[in-house]
Amino acid sequence: MMKQQTAIGGLAKQLGFVVGVTALALSAAGCVTVRPEQRAVLADPSMQFDADPGDGAAREHVLENREGSSGGRSVKGGGCGCN
Amino acid sequence: MQLSRHFALALGLLLSALPGRVLAQVADFAPRASVFWEPSGTSHLLVINPSAELSVTPTEWLDVHAGYEADIVSGATESLKGGRLSTVDIVSSATDFKDTRQQFSGGFGLQRDGTKLSATYTYGRESDYRSNAIAVQAGTTFLQKNTELTLAYGRGFDQVCTTAFADSDGASVKQPLDSSKGCFKNGDNRKAREVDLDNFQTGWTQTWTPELATQLVLYGALQHGFLENPYRAVVIAPAGDQALENHPDNRTRLAAGLRAKYYVRSLTTAFSAGARIYRDTWDILGQTYELEAERYLSPELRLLAHARYYRQTEAAFWSDDYTGGEPEDGPRGQYWTGDRELSPLWSYMLGGRLLYRKEADPQHRLLSVMLGFEASLSFDLMKTALEEFTWGGVEPSDTLGMFGSLGLRGEF
Repeated sequence: MMKQQTAIGGLAKQLGFVVGVTALALSAAGCVTVRPEQRAVLADPSMQFDADPGDGAAREHVLENREGSSGGRSVKGGGCGCN
Repeated sequence: MQLSRHFALALGLLLSALPGRVLAQVADFAPRASVFWEPSGTSHLLVINPSAELSVTPTEWLDVHAGYEADIVSGATESLKGGRLSTVDIVSSATDFKDTRQQFSGGFGLQRDGTKLSATYTYGRESDYRSNAIAVQAGTTFLQKNTELTLAYGRGFDQVCTTAFADSDGASVKQPLDSSKGCFKNGDNRKAREVDLDNFQTGWTQTWTPELATQLVLYGALQHGFLENPYRAVVIAPAGDQALENHPDNRTRLAAGLRAKYYVRSLTTAFSAGARIYRDTWDILGQTYELEAERYLSPELRLLAHARYYRQTEAAFWSDDYTGGEPEDGPRGQYWTGDRELSPLWSYMLGGRLLYRKEADPQHRLLSVMLGFEASLSFDLMKTALEEFTWGGVEPSDTLGMFGSLGLRGEF
């Protein structure tokens, strides 16, 4: 139990650090301006994150059943993945 | 064929029922088939995953979506895990299995002025597992649409079938399932146990220059309940005593992923680099690094190549062999596992995707009905190196996997 609490405390500290750095970066983002007429490249499908979500989800499903980690891509329900 | 006729009829009715001035695109249909294969002489695992998603947008501010997918799994699996000191013949204990998981989902989304809210319900079932999940997501753009933030939460109410041991039974006397027969049907020596899942995720997508965009994703998950494989036993004593896998009932998982996309105009190619770090309360530390490059071969056809490297440490209670006299109050004395995904490992994945996309305007639709059509074909090779895991001292042979996927999308 003690180890579990220590591990959760460690995770909380790491998460706090990430959130702090993110908040700083987010405030810097307020200084950035890319005007609509400059977005031709950014609007291209090849510049989209997860441009083919079906393909990405199917690959993530395989990886989550072959690795001990998960997350960081999408929120979804569970499944056994026993095999 | 009959299904496609019904779908075409339903789509035609939908198109005729909606006034053309309301919205140009009213439906999006995306069927897909994926295959994962491990060409090993022992497990020869094959997973066939057909799926389809339908999204209908009756007004500018509302979309309704539904989906279906299945995992048709066959192969052979070892139901007993022993390590290098084990005298039990593990490899020849592998038994053939077949199972099918089906998943149905449905939900809706509301959208207005760059802000979107969506909710989805998913129901999944297989012979030994039931899943009910709800997911809600909110997203908005601001700072002249240079910044997009999303928040998502998912809650799963799952059940897994096990043998009918009492919670008060000692872990070393619990035994695994030998089959899913009788599961969720009050069968003899069968019991459904709860698994509660909470997922949280936030994403921040930012454009920095006309060629550079980044995305940061923070993820957290809480898992509580029966988190073992109900079929797998582990050799836990030198005399060969076996017991059902015994994992902690709680697991907290965190992940942070950062990706950047940069378009090099001189090469007319979009490059992407990503890194993800993962940590959980079972003491697994995972690192993922990815590289991608995508360019147009013609105005409709683009080619993507990608490489991925992954590495993880072992869970605190992981051991290849539990018969070596671990202290009873230590992590390897209280818990035991035969799960290779909790062992130290690294893997790489190499692959590519060809994607064809054709668009049309509302007056000149493709095949008279479609505003857009997309077809994608992808292939990946995945190789895993298990640093400690063995089946009774024998290194597993099923560490090479192949993944292929064919997807279509029609926008009507």
